[in-house]
Amino acid sequence: MAERIGIGRARVEPFGDAALLVVLGEHVDRAVNDRVHRLAFGLDLRAARMPGLGVPVPAYASVLVPFDPSVLAEDAVRGVIADALRAAGEAVAAKEPAAAPEPVTAADPGPVTHVPVRYGGADGADLAEVAVRTGLSEDDVVRLHAGAEYRVFCVGFVPGFPYLGMLPEELALPRRSTPRLRVPAGSVAIAGRQTGIYPSDTPGGWHVIGRTDLSAWDPHRDPPALLEPGARVRFVPA
Amino acid sequence: MLQVIEPGPLLTIQDAGRPGLGRLGVPRSGACDAWGLGVANLLVGAAPGSAALEVTFGGCVLEALEATAVGLGGADLGAERDDGVRLPSGTAHRIPAGARIRFTGAVHGMRAYVALAGGIAIGTWMGSASTFAIGRLGFEDGRPLRPGDRLVARRPGDLDAVGGTWPSRLAPHPAEWTGPLGIVPGPDLDAAPDDALAGVASATWLVSTSSDRMGLRLDGPSLGSGREIVSHPLVPGAVQLPADGRPIVMLVDGPTIGGYPVLGVVPTVDLPRLGQLRPGDEIGFQVERPEAARGRLRDQQAAFDRGAAALRADAVWVRLAAGAGG
Repeated sequence: MAERIGIGRARVEPFGDAALLVVLGEHVDRAVNDRVHRLAFGLDLRAARMPGLGVPVPAYASVLVPFDPSVLAEDAVRGVIADALRAAGEAVAAKEPAAAPEPVTAADPGPVTHVPVRYGGADGADLAEVAVRTGLSEDDVVRLHAGAEYRVFCVGFVPGFPYLGMLPEELALPRRSTPRLRVPAGSVAIAGRQTGIYPSDTPGGWHVIGRTDLSAWDPHRDPPALLEPGARVRFVPA
Repeated sequence: MLQVIEPGPLLTIQDAGRPGLGRLGVPRSGACDAWGLGVANLLVGAAPGSAALEVTFGGCVLEALEATAVGLGGADLGAERDDGVRLPSGTAHRIPAGARIRFTGAVHGMRAYVALAGGIAIGTWMGSASTFAIGRLGFEDGRPLRPGDRLVARRPGDLDAVGGTWPSRLAPHPAEWTGPLGIVPGPDLDAAPDDALAGVASATWLVSTSSDRMGLRLDGPSLGSGREIVSHPLVPGAVQLPADGRPIVMLVDGPTIGGYPVLGVVPTVDLPRLGQLRPGDEIGFQVERPEAARGRLRDQQAAFDRGAAALRADAVWVRLAAGAGG
């Protein structure tokens, strides 16, 4: 069975033979995600100077730490994780003195990226339905969606897909019961307390309320991803 | 130089992949069967992780536009020269100008690798030559190869080192082991029905036809559905339990983040086998601790290294003989 070895509030779980998963929380929560990015940043610094330690992958409330088991022992990786947790200011169970937190450059969100959106119509086929189901007018849906500042909790599923939160509670709806087989690239969609931008034509189960001409993923651009984990975002009605 | 006459169901260029980009949603990609890729490359004097062709099942036809050295690894997809000479997996050949290589269908496995001397000469996209269509990464924005595409070797004049044969007895392909695949218990068992992991390990599973480089869907008894979890990262080999209760095993092009419970992870040592499963194959799983899986991985790597050393020794004699003959 999975080993439950905790370091302070963190849980470190085996994830196959070549990775560990550090779980910092069980909810989608901005404070937890701050800790995720601080930890990922610290682990990234360590990966750069430790052969066999892979680049960490942050998600909402957890960080994947890949490693090459032919180079590094699991215990060594656990040691690095414990060290990074302490440096990130995580509470440590033992009576060790708390180290001074590292500068949180990674969590420094930087400037806000403004994403122009054409809401409704053919670009946002589900806007009317979202309005009906939330009991709001279409204008109110747009006002609420464009009124909040979002953070990129993580990027994943497909290249460049930003998981953005927190969507205002009034707009929270479960996913569509039947996913669409093809959601066009640039679609701006919502589900639960999240919103996102489809980087390429893919199947999708979120409610599409608009579309942007900004490309969330362009392999010919540097950097290819419009938004990296931790970035700040606002939507602007176009 | 090789030209694609018929690509078959899916023909792409793959190398060792692009690890380290998961934070941007970019999967590792690369060869589904890293062992097969390595064998094909070593046979023509290329580094094991060099770019090569990944041929899927039968139907692919390639033509040598000039005399070309090719190394074959991975599945045996019934490759033959158009004069009927068989080209088994684990062998290298000099294909004369105008001759064709035809993949007639699977003898065993799903994916074969065709390597060129020194590797295929091609650029890299985010550090790898591997094709990944959704990310528009790889040759021509990540499109699969089609008729008329040409592949050039890095060392096109190097036609000598093609007499070697991979020592399969010394270093058998991992897919020749047909026992259960390992599964290391995953982090989300609390979110899955009780005994879901035991259920995975006790049933016989059929690889579904809706399987691809992203993942293998398994047909078998429903294990019941778990509750949604806070989405977390995935790796190749992760076994997810979606709402219909039938597991999905992630492969190299799979999503980097997922919201279904991960029951366990098939360890690195068994990934080449996963990459060679084809629809209709029956498989089983056995719960394994990470240490045990790492032990098997060390053995596998040692076997590969022995095979590579034997091949190098062999190649010296082939070259000497070629020199003496010329």
